[in-house]
Amino acid sequence: MGAPAIRTEGLSKRYGSVDALSGLDLEVTEGEVVGYLGPNGAGKTTTIRLLLGLARPTAGRAEIFGLDCQRQTVQAHRRLAYVPGEANLWPSLTGAETLHLLGRVHGQVDSRYRDELIQRFALDPSKKVRAYSKGNRQKVLLIAALMTRPALLVLDEPTSGLDPLMEQAFRHCVQEAHETGQTVFLSSHILSEVEALCDRVGILREGRLVEIGTLAAMRHLSALTVELVFDAAPPDLSVVSGVKRVVVDGRHVHLEVHGPIEPLIDALGGTGVRELVSREPSLEELFLAHYGPDGNAPVTADGAVLAGQPGA
Amino acid sequence: MADLLLETAPRSFALAGRYPGAVVAVQVGRKAGRSGLLWGLIFAFYVVAQTLAYTSAYPTQAARDQMASAYSTNIGLNALIGPARAINTVAGYASWRILGILSILGAIWGLLTATRLMRGDEEAGRYELLLAGQTTRRRAAGQAIAGLAAGLVTLFVLTTIGTVLTGHASTVGFTLGQSVYFAITLAAGAATFLAIGALTSQLANTRRRAAAMAGAVFGISYALRMVADSDPGLHWLVWLSPLGWIEESRPLTGPRPLALLPVVLLILVVTAVTVHLAGSRDLGAAVLPNRDTAVSHLALVGSPIGLAVRLMRPVVLGWLIAVAAFSVLLGTVAESSAQDISGDKSVQETLGRLGGHGSPVAAYLGLTFLIIALMITLVAAGQITATRAEEADGHLENFAVRPVSRTSWFTGRMILSAFVLLAAGVLAGIGAWAGAASQHSGAGFGSLVAAGLNVVPPSLFLLGLGAVVLGVWPRRTSVVVYGYLAWSFLIEFIGAVVHASHWLLDTSVFFHMVPAPATSPNWGSAAVIAGLGVAGAVIGGIFLNRRDVLAG
Repeated sequence: MGAPAIRTEGLSKRYGSVDALSGLDLEVTEGEVVGYLGPNGAGKTTTIRLLLGLARPTAGRAEIFGLDCQRQTVQAHRRLAYVPGEANLWPSLTGAETLHLLGRVHGQVDSRYRDELIQRFALDPSKKVRAYSKGNRQKVLLIAALMTRPALLVLDEPTSGLDPLMEQAFRHCVQEAHETGQTVFLSSHILSEVEALCDRVGILREGRLVEIGTLAAMRHLSALTVELVFDAAPPDLSVVSGVKRVVVDGRHVHLEVHGPIEPLIDALGGTGVRELVSREPSLEELFLAHYGPDGNAPVTADGAVLAGQPGA
Repeated sequence: MADLLLETAPRSFALAGRYPGAVVAVQVGRKAGRSGLLWGLIFAFYVVAQTLAYTSAYPTQAARDQMASAYSTNIGLNALIGPARAINTVAGYASWRILGILSILGAIWGLLTATRLMRGDEEAGRYELLLAGQTTRRRAAGQAIAGLAAGLVTLFVLTTIGTVLTGHASTVGFTLGQSVYFAITLAAGAATFLAIGALTSQLANTRRRAAAMAGAVFGISYALRMVADSDPGLHWLVWLSPLGWIEESRPLTGPRPLALLPVVLLILVVTAVTVHLAGSRDLGAAVLPNRDTAVSHLALVGSPIGLAVRLMRPVVLGWLIAVAAFSVLLGTVAESSAQDISGDKSVQETLGRLGGHGSPVAAYLGLTFLIIALMITLVAAGQITATRAEEADGHLENFAVRPVSRTSWFTGRMILSAFVLLAAGVLAGIGAWAGAASQHSGAGFGSLVAAGLNVVPPSLFLLGLGAVVLGVWPRRTSVVVYGYLAWSFLIEFIGAVVHASHWLLDTSVFFHMVPAPATSPNWGSAAVIAGLGVAGAVIGGIFLNRRDVLAG
């Protein structure tokens, strides 16, 4: 087993009096697809800039395949490709010239795959960058990254500006990369994208990693959402072990169960329950549990502010 | 909340918040005003320095008469900066020398400022957001022109302060009316080419193309004026050139305000056409057709340095041609100037006082090579600010996230820039020799190429200074580099007028340059200046490597 694709130890970055990233400890093993979530300003792009050596850490260190991101930057970059959320390309070059330049600079290009990607993303490479739409400029960067078939793909909001068809093409490419053993580190706001593609998900909040794990584990550790409908007035279920956040609306009850569901099932015996629907939280609910509309107060999926949570 | 935002935001945002319908005018006016402030100061200092230099160098009427008889028949100088009329008076000399130089400088400032703030900002997508507000494309164009006018007014006010203060000096004696009229004529070139730059910004879809078109208008205008002033039989051509109209306004010597009428009419017509065209085209598009597709040329786009060569090529070639052409011109007029001043002790003494020695041709070229030095340091300033722009625009990141170290990228840019500066110096020498040889002046090839190389070290020093600022304080690179260049140029002029402290004079990079070919180049001193530039580039590279990459 080689060195992890990404490893950080106490990685921190401070801008003036603002802690953009605080003590990040993260490990991404080779071949994983890891999603990186957080609202604007949470520290996602700062993490990526530190991994790429574009910014210097205030404290801590980061490695790419065991190579120090600050001291062995060039060697590390030979093994990765990066797609930023904003395409800052040279307006006077054509798409073909841009791909040629970025490929030559990287040093290795799978030409056949590049041509296939151009077809898949429906890019006209004879156009000047100046004439491209935002989405088309983003396609150039995606193709430039994927055509090098890197060991690690670092993607920061890679699908911004892409239409749904191209978004599908992108997902297909990431799945292919996963199948061929490439590692993918995906920072995104599109939760469905992360849910569909990622093995593990990390959630950042105010520069701190507050959650990381597989979606299954995160769901297991999270509350189960239960909707109940009674024939008559519902009983008081808030006293049941593990039951929290009970909301009663006439004969409808909405609640969360933390831990085993058996105490609730036992308590429902003879209460006239007509319907019972339980479901695991979606990634969106898991994500929103860490953030509120203002980025602080955790909320339920329907927008209600939860009491007793950190930051609430 | 809104109040808090207004309190903490820059003043321009506060103004824009107070006048939401004038947000474009406020934004453009802020930038144009800042530029007008800097150039207004340069204009004012130039007026003061040149006028007082004249009264100091030629204190008696006899000395002025001798100087006038030497210069007034110089066809070369007449072609360069206009006909010398009554230059045995302060008014005549100021009108000739200051108007000749500042109308050209003002025109270049005007066309670059207008194309930068109109087409450049539109190209960068800044207008998109502004046009989503309470305005239309046509009104936005009108506002942008109003913003440019604010910059012009700033430049004009400072220039007027310069002319009025100078006019009040006991040795000068211009009336208030004369001084204000003089300032109007000095700002007329800037006003005309601000308007032309605004128009070409509607015609072309890139800032570079808009500036090139406005530059072509300037070039034709300048060429027409030159021909008109070189041959009395073709003097009528002066009426076909905006620069000719300004020249014919004859401030201080025999005012002809009616000559400025075509300038005013041109500005009004061009402004009206600009506003009309802005309203009849799409945002981001241009009136003239442009190609969205192109055949790919991959020869130079294989490395960062190759790309830099390709992207810089038009601008660098333009500068090299300008330096070479100007050097040929200087070489061509050197012989006639030398003939005019040969045997004229007072003129030779003046040249000697300003640093020129040796033969009259060599002394003349030694003095005028200072202008070549300024041109090449401007190339250096352009090179280092373009390097910073690569970082600011996010283009450096495209390389820095790939197996390219910042050190190798920066080293490549610095070597390329140094090569361009060296080429400019050699071309200046060869150009001056070619011009001088065409007049059989006897100036040696070797000595003129050496003189060309002699003006390169100051530009290398400026490149190194810019590199240090880029490494340590990247967002201030442009301000520091151009600010220092303006300072050095001012010190050079002030130093010629007053007996300034040696410490003050030492701060100008031009002060350390000997006036070759009037004297032999001091290669030891040149090596020290160039070495400081190289050291600056190394230090800048080290700091760049140790800081964050900063876009914006």
